[in-house]
Amino acid sequence: MAVPSADKVQEIREVTRIERIGAHSHIRGLGLDDALEARNVSQGMVGQMDARRAAGVILEMIKDGKIAGRALLIAGHPGTGKTAIAMGMAQALGSDTPFTSIAGSEIFSLEMGKTEALTQAFRKSIGVRIKEETEIIEGEVVEIQIDRPATGTGAKVGKLTLKTTEMETIYDLGQKMIESLTKEKVQAGDIITIDKATGKITKLGRSFTRARDYDAMGAQTKFVQCPEGELQKRKEVVHTVTLHEIDVINSRTQGFLALFSGDTGEIKSEVREQINGKVAEWREEGKAEIVPGVLFIDEVHMLDIESFSFLNRALESDMAPILIMATNRGITRIRGTNYQSPHGIPIDLLDRLLIISTTPYEEKEIRQILKIRCEEEDVEMSDDAMTVLTRIGMETSLRYAIQLITTANLVARKRKATEVDVDDIKRVYSLFLDESRSTQFLKEYQQEFMFNELAPSESMETS
Amino acid sequence: MSTKESQDGDTSKMLEILCKMEEAAEDILSDKQQLIDLDRKRQKTREAVRVVSKDKENNKQWVCFGNMFIKFPTSNTKAMLDKDYDKIDQEMNGIRHQLKNKVNKLRDLEMKDDLKGFNLNPLSKEELKTVEGFC
Repeated sequence: MAVPSADKVQEIREVTRIERIGAHSHIRGLGLDDALEARNVSQGMVGQMDARRAAGVILEMIKDGKIAGRALLIAGHPGTGKTAIAMGMAQALGSDTPFTSIAGSEIFSLEMGKTEALTQAFRKSIGVRIKEETEIIEGEVVEIQIDRPATGTGAKVGKLTLKTTEMETIYDLGQKMIESLTKEKVQAGDIITIDKATGKITKLGRSFTRARDYDAMGAQTKFVQCPEGELQKRKEVVHTVTLHEIDVINSRTQGFLALFSGDTGEIKSEVREQINGKVAEWREEGKAEIVPGVLFIDEVHMLDIESFSFLNRALESDMAPILIMATNRGITRIRGTNYQSPHGIPIDLLDRLLIISTTPYEEKEIRQILKIRCEEEDVEMSDDAMTVLTRIGMETSLRYAIQLITTANLVARKRKATEVDVDDIKRVYSLFLDESRSTQFLKEYQQEFMFNELAPSESMETS
Repeated sequence: MSTKESQDGDTSKMLEILCKMEEAAEDILSDKQQLIDLDRKRQKTREAVRVVSKDKENNKQWVCFGNMFIKFPTSNTKAMLDKDYDKIDQEMNGIRHQLKNKVNKLRDLEMKDDLKGFNLNPLSKEELKTVEGFC
């Protein structure tokens, strides 16, 4: 930490994240080469070359911070990889750029208004980069010497010897430092840091060289290496926090706990204005950088007309993230009105969007995707079974075919086989109906079901 | 034949890049070592200042210049040491500042993005409180 920037390189948080195998857990990025051309199969992405290339261009612009306040619409048939592209963009952006993903229907909640939910989502997608700098003295305590006056009262004086692997020095101690050293129960062999500005002492642990001093050692005793380099170091830490996090901390008395409880409630607009002002001030003083992130709204046709007009307005604010929306609707009614519009989005908002469209997968691509999913789910499948499954994927839907992978694997395991065979696929195909066969079944046995007296011509009301 | 030539070209280019990277890395390491040496000097100077300022009995101190010990007035000695201390501090700040550029240069050679945010001015303690919980 002596050389903050150099050491930062190694300081990568190594936490093994155990992720559930989800529908898009195999996506690692957009699968583009350096020239932004889409590789046919890469990083879990298959096909959709045009859409991926377009997404790649947008991504580069996001990285350069050039397209704040723009919006993107990914439109396409169900199961053509819209969410996959958005996930790929999120993965490619890295951990430093905030990425928020919500489903369109998430904003309809009893606890907060639609616009509040949207505002929070917006502010979750804007990062503020700040730097913390502290001057610290870090070293291993070689010796503490405290002189007490013979009378028992009066000022104590003392000496503290600290060392690193490179050097050793003596500090004179005043009354206050002696008190805090005694309070922290610092003794020879401890590794401590002293904040230079406040004089706060932190015990990091005991030195490894003293590991065998006693046998009786508390379980919580932590052993650390003697620090390297200079004694007096400058520690610089860069944090990226989102505007929403700052909002929450400053709007509640209980502080950041509210962040974890999930119940943040509504945040007063005055608080937000104050924070905006503060952040703008920091920016002018060179203390902060704005990191426009990405807000992804899946199933955007579920938003209603009020939300759309809010989005229209919010996109124009100077601290707006990049908005990515996805929809699988064609020309349909805008929720909350009786008007029809392409993608269920009002024309004025549609006009501001860059539209990327995804196309249905071809047979080869479906096979490839199924193969990737098999690897992701640790399923081995014979070539014949794969061909059958691909056929199923072509005739029904990709999602249905993917569902069959896990189920077929279970059937295969039941007969103690390591590899999924054609018979397993056939078996699960007969066990689980796909959408069209289910419809077929319903049509045939309509009379046997309840409430079948509804006229079949009447279309379903969704909102 | 031409493939071999181009291969040779590739190898020499790669070597060149590797050399540059080593050079940049060496530069950073030597700067780090220099920071350590300067800090050692700084700590010694600080110790000396403490000793000199605590000594109330003599108004002159023995000071070593090169190979010679000279008796020097205490106030002058202290002023000299203080000046030294400040100078070392400044020099360390200078090196730390340059180091950031050097690290970014190395990262550039390694085809990595620059480290972000280290050129910002630090937030003060009160300002940090508003973003508490993440720092």
